[in-house]
Amino acid sequence: MSRQPASEAFPAKPKRGSGRNVGGRPMWLLWPSVGLILFVVVIPFLIGVYISFLNLDQYTIRDWIHAPWAGLENYITGLTGGGVLQTSALTSLGVSVAFSVLTTLVTTPIGILAALTVNTQFRGRALIRSLYLIPYVIPTFVTALLWRMMFLNGTGLVDRFLSAIGVASVNTYWLIGPRSFWAMTITEIWAVWAFIYIMVLAGLQSIPTELYEVAELDGATSWQKLTKVVLPQLKGLLGLALLLSTLFHFNNFTLPFVMFGSSPPTSATVLPLNIYVTSFNLFDFGLGSAMSVITLIIMLVPAFFYLRALRLGEVTAR
Amino acid sequence: MVKKSTLSRREFLAAGGVAMVGLSALGLAGCGGGKSGGGNGGSLSVFIDKSPTAPGAQKQWMDKISAQFQKQTGVKVSWDSFSSSDEEQRKMENAVTTGNGPDIFVFGSTFIPSAQATGGFHVLTSNDWKLAGGKSRIFKQQLTMAGTSPDKLISVPFSMRPFAMVYNTELFRKAGISSPPKTWTEFVQDAKKITDPSQGVYGAEIDPADSYDPWKIWWTFVRQMGGRFVSKDLKTALLDSPEVQKAVQFWFDWATKYKIADPHSMTWQSTDALRAFVNGKVGMQIMISTSVEPTLRNSKVKGKYAFAPMPTVPYGMQQRPPGGEPASTIVSGDYLAVAKYSKAKDSAYKLIKLMTDYQPQIQYSKAVGDLPVNKKAATYLASKSKTAKAFIEAEQNATPTPMTGAWATLEVALANVSAKLGNAVAAGNYSPSLVKSLLEKANQQVQAQLR
Repeated sequence: MSRQPASEAFPAKPKRGSGRNVGGRPMWLLWPSVGLILFVVVIPFLIGVYISFLNLDQYTIRDWIHAPWAGLENYITGLTGGGVLQTSALTSLGVSVAFSVLTTLVTTPIGILAALTVNTQFRGRALIRSLYLIPYVIPTFVTALLWRMMFLNGTGLVDRFLSAIGVASVNTYWLIGPRSFWAMTITEIWAVWAFIYIMVLAGLQSIPTELYEVAELDGATSWQKLTKVVLPQLKGLLGLALLLSTLFHFNNFTLPFVMFGSSPPTSATVLPLNIYVTSFNLFDFGLGSAMSVITLIIMLVPAFFYLRALRLGEVTAR
Repeated sequence: MVKKSTLSRREFLAAGGVAMVGLSALGLAGCGGGKSGGGNGGSLSVFIDKSPTAPGAQKQWMDKISAQFQKQTGVKVSWDSFSSSDEEQRKMENAVTTGNGPDIFVFGSTFIPSAQATGGFHVLTSNDWKLAGGKSRIFKQQLTMAGTSPDKLISVPFSMRPFAMVYNTELFRKAGISSPPKTWTEFVQDAKKITDPSQGVYGAEIDPADSYDPWKIWWTFVRQMGGRFVSKDLKTALLDSPEVQKAVQFWFDWATKYKIADPHSMTWQSTDALRAFVNGKVGMQIMISTSVEPTLRNSKVKGKYAFAPMPTVPYGMQQRPPGGEPASTIVSGDYLAVAKYSKAKDSAYKLIKLMTDYQPQIQYSKAVGDLPVNKKAATYLASKSKTAKAFIEAEQNATPTPMTGAWATLEVALANVSAKLGNAVAAGNYSPSLVKSLLEKANQQVQAQLR
């Protein structure tokens, strides 16, 4: 697994200045892709940054390029929560990070355990594997509507159950106030734990049976097999799954939007929802863009680690 | 052999690259303009809201109109539909920004001020009105929301959805109430007679978590008291005025003071309130349109409900104060607006004429449930159905909401106030001073958007 010297990994040194041929490959063929990335990603991004310095609203959208200059006003409003939703970008970022990290932390052991239960052959395994996937394949808006009804105070299943076992009042509010964060998180956990399950199951299938046999011969217990054989083998894949899962939860807009609408409680105002309502319901595109830029700058930190993890994956795969 | 193989692969890749460049160029050209939408004289595109209750019947109506219009003019009509106001808003924003999109947009009434603020829609001239069939055949109340002022109308009314109330006739009979209330004082009294918390039955309902109901309801209370959300000249936000505070407080009083609404309904949206009504748990549900009828017809309350206009005299008064209007509903419905970039405006107005003619209007009403804006068609339907009669009666007192470009902000700001007050009631820290402070904050936000 030692790393190859650079000369072996890249046998032909690129000819500087030619720009046409690297290692015998026609590099100019990359230009269409570069062009597309420029038009699809880079230019819209730069426009977004420009918009964040404008007073762009329903009055100026038609001639948006000439919208009045706002300076740092949108950034100040975004950071202080001076918008109509009264939730700052930082508060929303906190909600989003807590929501995505917590969901990932809870779904990981559930996903691993579920994958372990169906890793070995037994009668009805295909059926159980299919059952595990049900919450994951239900469209998010359906999941959100179902759980919204379950979390309704008084008539919802959650409150009725909690009241029946004597834990809480039948009129415990889940859809407003601080508990709305938990309602959203529990729903997300229920809906997406199968993502970790799928990834881990795929990883488990690729562990050679010889490793189990050797562990067996050495007299390893089930726990030792899990901690000394399975988890180390899954390390790379699991790391990537956790990162993807966290980013996926972070970007989930549909669930909070369907559960809480355009006036969500502060504890459920995740960043995508805040930016969407600000930009598209309130026509405050400048503020929406400023909040996006603030988020982007802050999110560069985990993005750096994500890219690093991908690079590590590449090296390991080589 | 090896050499040949390498060459052919390169050639293949090169050809692929050239093809990709070509495709990219085409794609970018497509983004930049070209013929998509905009109309070319031979075709028209219409962006319409999909009926949530009868999409099939609506499609049949659209096909029929297309065939008839093509026969009359040779112009082909294509329909594109949207399912939510968010989708509608995004399409409008994209079209206005790029100068590309449908020729005709179907907008909800409260969307017209925002659409007009963008400057992306054609203001009808007298000639356009002639092509569109004229104003005289349309309900005059509906015309009040067709543009910011009578000389700057950007749309033609298409259908109307006046709001009224529905009441449970069986609960009325049990409580000894003979007719629906005409004043909000009577409303509270009747609701108290119906309320029986031991059975989970309440005379009225509130839905503070709904995005639209709270402001619609507060708006009727405010107009009846002579107040406004925004000053007549549209320059000053008045959400912190005593009338608005009284209106908001009165509504929450239903749950907190008069106990005529379920005190645990703070998370309700309009669908939750409707569910309670169809389960026989609510005596009177206000601010509903004809669209609820299919649900009621197939529910537990089948045959036990009736519609009536909402009361028009403020609580604690025998008559409206000076300046008060008998506002029983907002002016609500769909409007047809032609985009400025359309190259087929004449054809568009001819199509609008067909869509608002007597027969198509009756057929659309039967298919979708909305009422016709065509007076002759509405009169015909009122003579045939008690429901249509009650709603058309409510329409007589329909008053327009302010035609300000800041309306979207106002809606969200008030929905936010309602959600926060609902939260305060649930948490047990609701107070009139909280109503005042939240409305003051909302007022500042709306004021910042007024031009």
